Amino acid sequence: MSMKSKTDVIIIGGGATGCGIARDLALRGVPHYLLEEGDFARGATGACHGLLHSGARYAVSDSEAAKECIEENRILRRIGKKCIEQTGGLFVRLPGDSKKFRDRFLEKCEEVGIPTQILSPSRALEMVPSLNPELEEAVLVPDCSIDPFRLCLLNIVSSRRRGGVALIHHRVVDIVKERSRCVGVKALDLFTGQVKEIYGKIIINATGAWGDKTARLAGCDVPLTLSKGSLIITDHRLTNMVVNRLRPASNGDIIVPNEAVCVAGTTSVDVPDPDEARLEPWEMELLIQEASQLIPAFSRARIIRGYTGVRPLIRGGCEGDSRRISRSFRIIDHENGLISIIGGKLTTYRYMAEKVTDLVMDKLGLKAPCLTAEYPLEGQEELSGYPLSKRLENLNEIVCECELVGKREVEETVNRIGVRYISDIQHRTRLGMGPCQGGFCTYRALGIIHNMGRISIEESRYILKDFLQRRFRGIRPALWGAQLREEQLVEGMYLRILGLGEE
Amino acid sequence: MEEIYDVVVIGGGMAGLGAAIRLAKEGCHVAVVSRGDPILCLSTGCIDVLASGENPLNGIANLPPQHPYHLVSAEFIKEALAYFLNEIALGGLPYVGSPEENRHVLTPLGVGKTTCLVPETMAASTAEKESRIHVISFAGLKDFYPSYIMARIPATDLSVYEAGPVSTMFLATQFETDEFLERFLNWLKGTDITADRIAIPAVLGWMRALEIKRMIEEETKRPVFEIPTLPPSVAGIRLHRTLKRRALDLGIQFYLGKPIETVEMAGHLVEAVTLESMGRPTRVNGNAFILATGSFVSGGLLSQREGVTEGVFRLPVFYPPDRATWFGENFFPPEHPIEDAGVLVDEEFRPRAVEIDNLFVAGSILAYARVLRYGCGHGMAIVTGQAAASSCLKYLKVAAQGDTCSRTV
Repeated sequence: MSMKSKTDVIIIGGGATGCGIARDLALRGVPHYLLEEGDFARGATGACHGLLHSGARYAVSDSEAAKECIEENRILRRIGKKCIEQTGGLFVRLPGDSKKFRDRFLEKCEEVGIPTQILSPSRALEMVPSLNPELEEAVLVPDCSIDPFRLCLLNIVSSRRRGGVALIHHRVVDIVKERSRCVGVKALDLFTGQVKEIYGKIIINATGAWGDKTARLAGCDVPLTLSKGSLIITDHRLTNMVVNRLRPASNGDIIVPNEAVCVAGTTSVDVPDPDEARLEPWEMELLIQEASQLIPAFSRARIIRGYTGVRPLIRGGCEGDSRRISRSFRIIDHENGLISIIGGKLTTYRYMAEKVTDLVMDKLGLKAPCLTAEYPLEGQEELSGYPLSKRLENLNEIVCECELVGKREVEETVNRIGVRYISDIQHRTRLGMGPCQGGFCTYRALGIIHNMGRISIEESRYILKDFLQRRFRGIRPALWGAQLREEQLVEGMYLRILGLGEE
Repeated sequence: MEEIYDVVVIGGGMAGLGAAIRLAKEGCHVAVVSRGDPILCLSTGCIDVLASGENPLNGIANLPPQHPYHLVSAEFIKEALAYFLNEIALGGLPYVGSPEENRHVLTPLGVGKTTCLVPETMAASTAEKESRIHVISFAGLKDFYPSYIMARIPATDLSVYEAGPVSTMFLATQFETDEFLERFLNWLKGTDITADRIAIPAVLGWMRALEIKRMIEEETKRPVFEIPTLPPSVAGIRLHRTLKRRALDLGIQFYLGKPIETVEMAGHLVEAVTLESMGRPTRVNGNAFILATGSFVSGGLLSQREGVTEGVFRLPVFYPPDRATWFGENFFPPEHPIEDAGVLVDEEFRPRAVEIDNLFVAGSILAYARVLRYGCGHGMAIVTGQAAASSCLKYLKVAAQGDTCSRTV
């Protein structure tokens, strides 16, 4: 059985860029479909450090990028209060770090309009007591922590409220061409196995690291260099502010507080295939070592997981067929109904979406200004927020003890989005995101969903096994100490108590 | 003068308590030093001997040569398990089964867990897809979802008892009261049951479980069995309580909740361990010591990024040197080389590569035990605990020149 739909614009990819384009199109009144192979933010969007750049990191190396960052930083702080924590950030100079670089840094920040404030060691230690007490000085900048997953969801709210359709767990298997023009896509519903045909006037390839793979479906190329960046997560917050190393960008120079945890990153290694990128043991060692220089307690902190995202970097050599709008991202008009957007960063997702949508409007012969910077992200009023006090309100039946997620929240989420993958629920509730990484609560959540009659037992056992397998891949590089203990306990529970894996 | 125990057992789990009981029955003056409730309390209470194949004893013969089971004979394994079962039966917790036959008990996921010796309250357990089971659950019981069972065993019926806000521990305590039990039995009377057997999560009281099970059987005229639950696991706690009570009855002294601070040596002998306490450190002197502190989960083995260590005596520990290889790629099947980590011992259960004459090691702290992969946890702990105890006795006999122990029964 096949199903056909028609729209104006088809967006492939549910990362920040794709979701941002959906919102932009919606606010300009253009019908659209968005197709995502996994859940929202599955690629680099969800696998970054969750930093809303102030731009300071790029001030010295790329002032154009820095300028884009600080401008978007200001906009997002205004429109996205519920997915941004205004932590502020420090650039910390340790003994041996170049003073010359620090001078250039301050100069360049001023040039592009990033506000800075120099802090004495004692003042910096007052703000972040866990800092390396040996620090020479610190520079305060408006870095923030951002929840990329929420950001995507909120962008989709605007799209859906205006008739946009966003389908997750749909893999685009083909781009349909008619007289060498791209006129539609075939999308495989990964849950039902059904293939849906969607036709539109313009197709946007916003698949990040998968950009070249996607473009090839239409016989086009996207010149990408793939660079993986690995990050590690601690079981609690070691700092309430973003902490950067004040030196030229290098491995392991940042720690970002995110909700109840801290993320430290990153590395940079070229990889051939985004699906094969994994965190290597040496990266784990390096990141702990580097983070410990900024915050000594990091060396004894409990690491609960590591992960890798793949940055889609622009490769030179495609002049003529692309419009150079920024050094940091590029929009490629394949001149056949397909437009690819590559490069960029989470912080500038809105700006990238604006530029793509401008081009789309042009192509469609429509005129409407971009409004995405004018209005706050919709849907924020419905978010409870994560503060403990809020969570304690309805905690009669706690399902996830680590993140305090109640049974009602799980049920509400299932009713709202349906359930296909346990990770969809985890992303939306933070179920299983704490130290045990879902070891205990996944079995419960599936039991609840089961009782709601939403999945069959075959599905739930499959989902459980699949979840445990994927979960294990994430925590495997972090298994020593308390995390190893917990892992063996979880393994014992599933294997020796529940008998999972016996058949 | 300070008290000197014949044997100080460090670790109050299956291996440690089993060893302590055997030594006490042989007339030794025994102390058990334990940091708290052992992970035995988190277990199903079932004794896995070897969870592969139909006959654990045959399976043991085929285990790799380094496995601790190979340090003793098949006869010893049989004898040790029988001895242990007899002890807990005396303590009021009878078990059924034979080390030559595995059985499959129904789990909350609706599948059969392969195990060997089980409490009598689980004797009637079945996990056959064709079974006709009536599951009785309790409204709001967090970690028990009967739908898992009902979906795998299609003919399953379900009744849910309203007992207010519940947990497994709370229910077990409630079942011990006549009032609750009577109300439950009355409710059961009004429940239409046509299935062949009745299954209830393991919450049927603490030490009265068997009696309660029989009362329900009498009421319903059908075999009743308990389904082990996730922690807190009442069936696991029952086994621990039984062992501990048996140990206390035999005059074993317990030092609980205090971590060991120092180990005092004299030449090739351990003389004492001192325990951290609020005031003066407590010194526990012994003529011989048994180390049964378990593996990683129990805290007997400690893992850091740099490697694995043993927590009390800093004994040499065998482990795969490269941390990147500790765990296999997959959760299923669980092939994790880190499971080989542990203390290597000689035939007398003395740690290898150190010269300590009066220290014996038992349980899942032993190298190559691979408890999770083989499903041999409690069985291996019991057997090696008994074996270490008998080596220990032999040592004491020689040390005392024929006089078995300082105290006679």
